[in-house]
This record gives sequence, structure tokens and C-alpha cells, in this order.
Amino acid sequence: MDFFSFGKIIVYIDKFIKFINSIFFLVLIIGLSFALIISPIDYLQGDTVRIMYVHVPSAWIGLSIFSMMAIGTLLNFVFKIKNLYLFVKSLAPIGLLFTCLSIVTGSLWGKPTWGTWWAWDARLTSMLILMLFYVFFIIAFKIFKESENLPKILSAISILGIVNIPIIKYSVEWWSTLHQPASIKILGSSSIHSSMLVPLFLMLLVLLLYCALIFLMKYKTEIIKIKKQNIKRL
Amino acid sequence: MINEFLNMGGYGFYVWTSFLIVIAFCFLLYYKTKKTLQKYEREFAQELEKLPMKHRRKIARSSKVISSILASQNKLN
Amino acid sequence: MLTKKIKSRLFFILSVVFITLLFLIFVYFNLKQNILYFKTPSEIFKVDEIKINSKIRVGGMVKKDSIKQNNREIKFILTDYQKELIVVYNGAVPNLFSEERGAVVEGKLNDKRYLIADRILAKHDENYMPPEMKKILENAK
Repeated sequence: MDFFSFGKIIVYIDKFIKFINSIFFLVLIIGLSFALIISPIDYLQGDTVRIMYVHVPSAWIGLSIFSMMAIGTLLNFVFKIKNLYLFVKSLAPIGLLFTCLSIVTGSLWGKPTWGTWWAWDARLTSMLILMLFYVFFIIAFKIFKESENLPKILSAISILGIVNIPIIKYSVEWWSTLHQPASIKILGSSSIHSSMLVPLFLMLLVLLLYCALIFLMKYKTEIIKIKKQNIKRL
Repeated sequence: MINEFLNMGGYGFYVWTSFLIVIAFCFLLYYKTKKTLQKYEREFAQELEKLPMKHRRKIARSSKVISSILASQNKLN
Repeated sequence: MLTKKIKSRLFFILSVVFITLLFLIFVYFNLKQNILYFKTPSEIFKVDEIKINSKIRVGGMVKKDSIKQNNREIKFILTDYQKELIVVYNGAVPNLFSEERGAVVEGKLNDKRYLIADRILAKHDENYMPPEMKKILENAK
């Protein structure tokens, strides 16, 4: 268990933050110039297709962070691993941010293409529910901070929330929605031309680096909080 | 040329607003996270100041968490 | 391996999962109709009694060469390649609205073949490609 001691972790966190800081702006500039300048326009949508380069990665990140949080919470609840609790707590704000961003950018994409900012179709509504679950999660962290029941409450929110994840993913296939079906499938080919896939994955990389940076800073803050409580015992 | 770039084929408002919103909110969260981290580091260093000198030096050498905090504090001062 | 405590926690989780599933099934069967954002023209045709004054959404393809526009209104045929529906609308259509593209119309049915729309939304598919690529694809057809 020595590897997971706070001392070891904080050394790696410092190294990682330094590394991300050193390359972040370079990757950001490459990503943005591909997304806004180099990539071609779409045959149908023209320049609005560029919104995809922030909308789609945000949605992916929102979904995957919630899944990670839910699994982390359940494992923490069953096996009581302190690190997992900090892990979940540090991830929550990033997930909420990107879920909100995917809804807002989606709205900005929907207006010029569909002709409406919002529609109560299955995909958009289930994404809104995901946002609500993030909010529940964060409120539970704040309200039940001292309570013994916190892991129990968080686990219940996780289970309720995680059933929503496959609903979001497959809503566009199961039901008739205004939202178009997925372009990129886990198995099988994608229906996005390769000249548009490059900026998409570059922007995904930029946002993932950003997420890692925020996560590490939050995690470090949590470690310092714990150490501060125990300072007398050092 | 520049106008054309800003105009985005007539969709400039939608494209630029979405990119700016993403950048602005990401920066906001970064700024907030950074401030909180610095606040806790500073508070920790202050608590450490209160301890007797001898004890302080001993734990600074043994704990990596503390040496990391002190290093970033020294950078700030 | 598993202590009593862990077993009791697992039991808690399983019971929450069970309740969630029950809840989900309940919601699903109650919302079955509302979950669909739009109906197809064939589905409209199959319904025995149409509610004249309630709003519905119908989605399909805009039939080729069917758009007729005068200065007051636009009229077109929405099809799912089996049944057709005549749509009348006055107002601005979205940029992506055109023939042989998907559209969702919202409005009131006059009868099974005739709908007066008060909103039109364009629906696009999941294919994205540069214009040159589209031309190559079309020439290959």
C-alpha cells in the first residue's frame, strides 16, 4: 500500500501538473487552429460543424466522468477506501462543468441547424437529467459532509444516476429523437470524414489534459486538508 | 480575410459564442481551483510556523507532502 | 473473504438497484408514448381516431419536388416512403430545411393526410464531410 501513501501521490501530482502546464498551451493552439481554421466546412451545415469540436468531447467527458464517479463511490462504499472518496470528490466539479458545456454548446448548435434552441427529445432530456444528478452529488457532498450516511447517500445517487448513462447513449437509437444518431461507434466505422476527425480528437486531448490538471489540483487540495487536520500528530 | 474568418459563413455568432463559453468557463474553474489550493497551502504553512523549530525541521524532512507545500510557498514569496 | 459488514453494504446496494429497476420500468410504461419525439406519417394513418385539436409532432423526409411556396405559406409533402402527409405552414423555415432532407413538423391535424404546422424543425443525419467529398460520392452513384 506504500504506493498509495499521500507522500508518494503528492510527488507524482506535482510532476504531472508541471508536465501538463509545460505542454498545455502548445496542444491548445494546435487544437484550436485545426478546429477553427484548418478543418473543412461541412457539405450541409457549413461552419456550424465546428461547434461539434467542443460539443462532442464535452458530452463524452460528462458521461465518462459520471461513470467513473459512480463506480468509485460504490467501491468506496463497499470496501471503504479513503483515496477513492477523494477521487470522486475531485472529479465532480469537472464532470458538472462539461455536462453543462455540452448542453449549452448543443443549444448553440441546434439553433442554426434544427431551428430551435431546445427540444424535449429523449437525448436532450436525459442529458439534462445527468446534469441534475451531478448537482445532487455535489449538494450531497456539501450537506452531508459530516454525516456517517454520506457514502450510503452517494451510492444511492450513483445507482440511480448510472442507469441514465446507457439511456443517454442509446436514446438516439431506441426512440425517435430530433438529435441525430451517434457518428462514432465503439465498434465499427465512423461517419465523420477523417479531415474532421483530426480536430475532434485534438480538442478531446486538450479537454482531457485540462480535466487531468483540475483533477490533480483538487486532489492535492483534499490531501492538504487532511494533513492540516492531522498536523498535531506529525 | 479576417472578416471572413470571424463571419464563419454567417454562423459566426454561434461558433464563436460556443468556443468562448467553453474557454471562459474552463478558465473560471481553473482560477477557482488554483485559488483554493493556494489558500490551503498558505494556511498549512502558517500552522506549521506555530510548531517549535526543531520539530518543524524534522517533519519537513520526513514528509513529502509538507516539502511539496513548502516548495510552492517559497516560490510564491 | 467478505466480512459481515461488506455483505450488509452489498445488500444495501442490491436493494437500491432493485428499487431503481422497478422505478424505471414503471416510468417507462407510463411514458412510452411521450418518449417518442415524433410520429411517422404511417403511424398517424394507423390511428383510428385522430384528435383534431391536439398538437402532435410528425417526422419524415420532405418529398422531392413537393415544396410549393407562395408569399403567404409553404406547402410540402412529408413522407416516410410508405404514407404521405401534406403540411401547410406559414413562417420562416430553418436553413437546413429542403427537399429530400429530414424534418419534424409540429401542429394540428386537419385529417389524416393534412397537417397545419406552427413549427418546423430540420433534422440532419450523422454524416459529416467536406463539400468536395460529397461531390465525389454523388458522382460515384
